[in-house]
Amino acid sequence: MWSKVIEYFPDWKAWMQAIVMTLIALGSYRIHGRLYKWGYNQPKQDGQQQGNSHQQGDGQPQNIAQQKVDGQQQGENQQQNDGQQPSDPWQQPQSQPSPQLTGNYDADMALIKEQLGNNSDVHFRDFRISIRNSRAVLIFVEGMQNEALINRQVMQNLMDNSFVKFEGYAMHNQSQAFAAYLKDKLLPISKISEVTDLYELEQSILFGFTALLIDGLPHALLVGEPAPKVRAINEPTSEALLRGPRIGFTEVLGENTALLRQHGRGADLELKMIEVGSRIKRNLVIAYMKEIVNKELLQEVEDRIANMNMDFISESGYVEQLIEDNWLSPFQQVQNTERPDRVISALLEGRIGILLDGTPFALIVPVTFSMLLQSPEDYYERWLPGSLLRTLRFFVAFLALMIPALYISFISFHPGLIPTELAITIIETRQGVPFPSLIEVLILEVSIEILREAGIRLPKPIGPAMGIVGGLIIGDAAVQAGIVSPILVIAVAVTAISSFAIPIYSAGITLRILRFSGMLFAATLGMFGTILFFLFICSHLTKLKSFGVPYITPASPYRFNDWKDLVLRAPVTLMKRRPSMLKPQDKKRRS
Amino acid sequence: MRRLSYLIGMMLLCSLLLTGCWSSKEIEERSVYVGMAVDLANKTTAEKQLESQGGGTQVQPLITATIQIVPLKSVGRGQQQAESGSIKKYLNVSETGNSIFEIMRNYSLKRDRAVIGHHLKVFVISTELAEKIELHKLLDFLLRDNDIRPSSMVFLSRGKAMDTLESDEPDEIPAFRIRDMVRNKFRNNKIYKEVILTNLDGYFHAKQSFILQNIAAADTGEIEFTGAGIIKGSTNKWIGDLDQENLSAISWIQGDSSGGLLKTVNDRNSIITYEILSGESKIIPKVDGERLSFHVDIKTEGRLIETWDAEETASKAFFLKEAEQKFEQKLETMLQNLMKKMQTEYKVEVAGFGDRLRITHPKVWKKVKDDWDDIFSRATVSFDISLKITDYGSSTE
Repeated sequence: MWSKVIEYFPDWKAWMQAIVMTLIALGSYRIHGRLYKWGYNQPKQDGQQQGNSHQQGDGQPQNIAQQKVDGQQQGENQQQNDGQQPSDPWQQPQSQPSPQLTGNYDADMALIKEQLGNNSDVHFRDFRISIRNSRAVLIFVEGMQNEALINRQVMQNLMDNSFVKFEGYAMHNQSQAFAAYLKDKLLPISKISEVTDLYELEQSILFGFTALLIDGLPHALLVGEPAPKVRAINEPTSEALLRGPRIGFTEVLGENTALLRQHGRGADLELKMIEVGSRIKRNLVIAYMKEIVNKELLQEVEDRIANMNMDFISESGYVEQLIEDNWLSPFQQVQNTERPDRVISALLEGRIGILLDGTPFALIVPVTFSMLLQSPEDYYERWLPGSLLRTLRFFVAFLALMIPALYISFISFHPGLIPTELAITIIETRQGVPFPSLIEVLILEVSIEILREAGIRLPKPIGPAMGIVGGLIIGDAAVQAGIVSPILVIAVAVTAISSFAIPIYSAGITLRILRFSGMLFAATLGMFGTILFFLFICSHLTKLKSFGVPYITPASPYRFNDWKDLVLRAPVTLMKRRPSMLKPQDKKRRS
Repeated sequence: MRRLSYLIGMMLLCSLLLTGCWSSKEIEERSVYVGMAVDLANKTTAEKQLESQGGGTQVQPLITATIQIVPLKSVGRGQQQAESGSIKKYLNVSETGNSIFEIMRNYSLKRDRAVIGHHLKVFVISTELAEKIELHKLLDFLLRDNDIRPSSMVFLSRGKAMDTLESDEPDEIPAFRIRDMVRNKFRNNKIYKEVILTNLDGYFHAKQSFILQNIAAADTGEIEFTGAGIIKGSTNKWIGDLDQENLSAISWIQGDSSGGLLKTVNDRNSIITYEILSGESKIIPKVDGERLSFHVDIKTEGRLIETWDAEETASKAFFLKEAEQKFEQKLETMLQNLMKKMQTEYKVEVAGFGDRLRITHPKVWKKVKDDWDDIFSRATVSFDISLKITDYGSSTE
């Protein structure tokens, strides 16, 4: 009997194969873990080094001023911010307090000039105030001040004393009274503030305020608001829609928050301002719906933003990369958008928006996979067209990812899977092609990618012409020259068009990257490799999380209710609840 | 621990180097054969020449297999496109041997691009060969091979099978022509329903008799479906033919005539033709002890499509009644002819009576299936035809 049992045991080759397979799986798991941790630890170590060298703990969260802002009053808040934050921990060690203005005009001027005088764009305009005949200076940065306002409201009033009345301010030689008199009577400007701290004064000047320093006054006046260079509100270029608001974010945070507020009345929208960047500071706003958002999620987002450690956050892309969950994943875990309506509807689902000053791209967290293939238009159109378009987009994403891989595996491995007539045509057209299918596809795919990359940078007038030259002529010429087969030109063209049909540009890039690895899989293992590649992506997606929310959540973990808004978009009347994947406080959308 | 993970990493990298493109073979480096014909060995002149120089298989050859390779190899695509209007699109290559697989592999000795069988569409056997060699021997390779699809159709040919894979029409691939001709069944019930490799597998195992569509070929490269050849289940060899009218009768019995015609002459000796619009049938087996009998109920509706009788107007009810009777008589004669051929001449059953019996009386079938052909030839078959002319077209007085 035992011999019978032993007969069924596989020989050593099968065991060896099993062991090797296990080792490969374990090994790749370990390597991934190591790599993941390495990337995650990198910035933290830097942070500690920096902190140590300056004898400062990295108590960043405490130093970040958190306050609510109202969009329209953002400018004023800016000033208050400056007032409340006299010093930056690493630039101004606390052992040496920041110098104050003394009231001694010459000394103060010397100090300021010492700090700012090296900058060629900082201008000092000396003049005399006629009523007291005291010296005064206007300090401003070229191009950032509101020149007309300063000329008319400040210079003109101070230099011209013809219709000045002194009553009530008789003691105008006293500096305090004179300051009050200036503010009350002489300077018809809506925003004016006093600064005594030298460091703060410098910062304000460099930020674009115009400072007025008058002999005999113990403080400087900030008279002109910075007039930042603003672009008009345009239709978002990267996310154009046929139906829906044609408004996009701009580079000014105040305007962007205002755009969010303007969506409608309601006290639910809360905007929390945080200052980010250790050397150059910028404002960042976390937007959420107070009554809807999950508190833990909000806490997590705030923590991650507080833990960002970067000298300068130049675009929201930095924020995205510093707060994302998995830096090894090709999939984005933070969504960026230029559309205020997209942000608002995400907020209403219980997500959180992050807006950074200086960029029109707002971030939405957490992201689930289906969001990458959804467009706001799906909801604006009726549910049938919406569902159709959305299904189409899922299909298109599959095409954009798989067509070259499928082409390679059909051509090089499984000629039997092609319909006979097509197979014959392919054989006929490929007879002159000297390359294996992988090289052939790579040639065309790479040239398409080059065209696309070049197309972004081409000057506007010749852009379309070059597109035609590149797309049509090169494609046709490549076929004529026998480098590629005409079938492939179709396949690559469909792939390229497909990746443009994906509503989020960065998701399109993800698919472009993955497409190439899919091609390699297909070239080594054929259809088996292609399916393997697809399974790899699926298993990666299943494991991926964005701020604790599983990436492909309605599918896995399975949440039946959320399927209403996945591939199909159910009628609005049926969507009574918010997506349960975000565990919002208020679950009901309509009662 | 760190060293171990480096080791594993190196192993993974090495495994990447090892994996070449294992089984990758570009499609244009192979050639596709879409048709295959087997004949009794008759070496072509080219083969004889090659053999004199030491080629070919040196055994008593039995079979000549001809495969149809598409597309032709072309050098310089521009010229090929210009000439495509006039040249043949296929190449027929013959090889002689006594094992189909050996023959298939011998093509690699003759041609640069290896032949692949994924796209085999039609397999034609000459009756001459089918008379001598059992069909299951000829088809064994086709049924076993993993590349060849079980959906390939099987045909017989009256003359040389390789002639059916010829065509004089430019741009036509004869194998596709045969495959597509079968689809014309909706227009003519003298075409037998397609028989594919999977069907044959079943027939062989059940030792069941069956028929295969016959193809006749002319020297001009034209072909025609001419009835069917009968393969006797017990021997798996060809025993005789059914003509086109017999085949049409089989379609009637099987309720498979969705198109086609019935032509007869009326009392005034002029031709009248009936266009079949629908044809249904029901075979009802009756078991009475040892006696087996079948009743076939045929219901058909159609149109009087052509009459050469100028005397009568088609719209008259009397005329239609008379025509209906004539058509019914004609159909009855056709059916009786078929029954005679099946029951007395060849003593086989190929019209699906056995299948019906198996479904309705499985226990009886178990007893009779081993010598079903014999038992059937003693069974009585009655027909009940109800033919209805629904209209007489758009033309009347």
